[in-house]
Amino acid sequence: MTPRLVLAEIEKSFGPLRVLHGVTLTVAAGEVHGLLGENGAGKSTLLNILSGVFRADAGRVEIDGRACTITSPRDATVAGIAMIHQELQQVPELTVAQNIFLGASIRHKGGLFIDRSAQETEARRLLAPLDPAIDVTAPIKSLRVAQRQIVEIAKALRARAKIIAMDEPTSSLTPKEFDRLVEVIRGLQAQGVSVIYVSHKMDEVYRVCQSATILRDGRLVGRVDLPQTPVGTVIERMVGRELAHGVHHGFARDRVVLETRGLTRGRAVQDASLTLREGEVLCIAGLVGSGRTELLRLIAGVDAADAGAVLVDGTEVAGGDPRRRIRAGLGLLPEERKRDGIIRHRPVTTNIALPAMRRFSRFGLIRRAALRARAEELMRDVQLRPLDVSRPIGSFSGGNQQKAIIGRWLAADTRIFLFDEPTRGIDVGAKAEIYALIERLAEQGRSILVVSSELPEVIRLADRVLVMRQGRIAAELAAGEITEENIARHAIPAA
Amino acid sequence: MTAPTRPALLSRIRFRDAGTLLGLVLIAVIFSVLTPVFLTTPNLMNILQQSAINACIALGMTLVIISGGIDLSVGPVAALSAVLGAAMMVAGLPVPLAVLAALAVGLGCGLFNGVLITWGGLQPFIVTLGGLSLFRAFALIYTGGTPIFGIPEGFRAFTNGTVAGVPNPVLIVVVLALAAWVVLNRTPLGEYMMAVGGNEEAARISGVPVRLTKLAAYMISGLMASVAAMILIGRLGAAEPTLGTLWELDAIAAAAIGGASLMGGRGSIMGTLIGCVILGALRNGLTLMNVQAFYQLLATGIIIIVAMLIDRATSGKQGG
Repeated sequence: MTPRLVLAEIEKSFGPLRVLHGVTLTVAAGEVHGLLGENGAGKSTLLNILSGVFRADAGRVEIDGRACTITSPRDATVAGIAMIHQELQQVPELTVAQNIFLGASIRHKGGLFIDRSAQETEARRLLAPLDPAIDVTAPIKSLRVAQRQIVEIAKALRARAKIIAMDEPTSSLTPKEFDRLVEVIRGLQAQGVSVIYVSHKMDEVYRVCQSATILRDGRLVGRVDLPQTPVGTVIERMVGRELAHGVHHGFARDRVVLETRGLTRGRAVQDASLTLREGEVLCIAGLVGSGRTELLRLIAGVDAADAGAVLVDGTEVAGGDPRRRIRAGLGLLPEERKRDGIIRHRPVTTNIALPAMRRFSRFGLIRRAALRARAEELMRDVQLRPLDVSRPIGSFSGGNQQKAIIGRWLAADTRIFLFDEPTRGIDVGAKAEIYALIERLAEQGRSILVVSSELPEVIRLADRVLVMRQGRIAAELAAGEITEENIARHAIPAA
Repeated sequence: MTAPTRPALLSRIRFRDAGTLLGLVLIAVIFSVLTPVFLTTPNLMNILQQSAINACIALGMTLVIISGGIDLSVGPVAALSAVLGAAMMVAGLPVPLAVLAALAVGLGCGLFNGVLITWGGLQPFIVTLGGLSLFRAFALIYTGGTPIFGIPEGFRAFTNGTVAGVPNPVLIVVVLALAAWVVLNRTPLGEYMMAVGGNEEAARISGVPVRLTKLAAYMISGLMASVAAMILIGRLGAAEPTLGTLWELDAIAAAAIGGASLMGGRGSIMGTLIGCVILGALRNGLTLMNVQAFYQLLATGIIIIVAMLIDRATSGKQGG
């Protein structure tokens, strides 16, 4: 049988940097095919070539046995290729129906005006098998991420896509929403649609995909049939080395360094009280939307609380301004690094120096040499790769950006690290490094709050776990009680 | 010994400045072929002299643009400080005091813009558009629409004077540009400006005093506008309430030609200066060739758009 899609011998360079070396990928009709590799392996570049964002330097694309030339996103759409990006490309103010028909509107006779009601009827028809609960007249911004993703899939179906590529589709889904997505993908398969599925999460890949292509450093490592190949083998082939399995180490001491009393903000966070000890790693688990990120932002002073207090070393920190909290020894490492974490055109040095600019200045002038020396020392310590602190931070991979942000707070002598999804969008190899760094921070007597949706991560890191549910802290799990079952039991609201 | 690694960003900005300079050289070569007068010392000084006022405004504008904003009110701010400064000089206040007061007027206007933008949470474009009308109105109402004459001779002599053949306004701009360069590249404030313009939320989470940073940018811009006003009234000997019309556009054009990104976070003092000279050289050259003013406008528009196209083509798409 002719494969639905063949990408053959694809080559791509950016300037002198060769990012794809003759990569081949084949997907059958109705197949869900994983595309695996660490960050920087070339997955995004390959998808961008498929969806017409980049042009390949060499290679062929065949769809249903016919060679096709894709030089623009428009060509890709015409060829039946749809891409669902990790950061959904939607217009938040427009309605679901308007987003589905963006750029391909249904017009009234005469072709001048958009026929809204026809679009809404059609949108409803497309969404019915996917998620009939979605209101097609609601603005996109009122939807949850999972629903917005479903809307993107409906949009792909509207364009009669035969191949849908999903880039990290579950990075902000709850387990239940993931189940729903799996059902939707099975429905697509039944219609003969092929899916290319990019994810870092091995359990998902095994559940969703029948086969996978593994890339490493822009080269094809191989194609595997999934249920047959053990996960260890797949990871080894991705990273090219064996991963040491992590064991939890605890460094918690007795002294309480951070305490919150009755922190409240609207309905997002209600009456949240917690304590954090010196050298302790306290994880906050819960579903997306349960108020974990919001709680972290209240503690960091990024959002203002309606009520409640934050105490450091037993003294209340007045004012809801991040600067005061930073001076008190707190530092936030946000989940969306590109949006909230980095100044991407600026070098690593100044990204590190921002909270501690005073320390690196004398007589009002920045001491560049001292800053550079300190940044190099810190980055050598966290093993920034490549170790070039004058490169713009945006040119580093996600894992290395996270290392630089850890360095930022180290430079400011921060004692309480507030991590929001510390390994979001970070590849398997770098994850282990981040875990080791978090443990080292704890060993040095710094205290760490970690918000995480990945249960293996929570189990790996936590000395103690708080589970949030609907804006409240629903449970506290001590060392012996930290299991996936216990966390899930407290996280899911009673029906 | 291995060569020291050049900081990547630094070399990229320098690369961009080199491009702007190349553009200037190109324009100079074309004009010196077309008209023999162009490449003479007096004419070159003339170009610098004529570019000085725009350079003043553009330096402040560059800092505002880098910090992610825009200041449309610079022309009327200049007009208001010009008429108030001139009135004080005419009323007999010592010139240095009058100049200081006029500069304070500029700072005050910047403070007004900045406070509305930061604490008021309004958009820079709208606030300074409001300022554009407001400050002009103040200047017109105060003067009743008529120019103020009688700027003291001493002050006029100073702004028309030269040191070693270089006009004083040019020297003032050189000093101000140096100061702006130091602020942008060597002080925490400059880093804060680039951080706030590059990613305001990340800057805030990192403890950057976002509001004070923006406020400083608008105040500097107001101050620079009043410096430009002082140079102009000294040279003309009069302060017109209508002076400075469309200055904001020239300043934005110079900053953009020089590589400032209107999205914020990026820009260069050197680039802006060269951008000012490019605009000045263009007008000067076309005037020397007796080209109608309408075509000068046309050429300015073309230069801006071509500069942006070259920028876009050379910066290229980054892989990811």
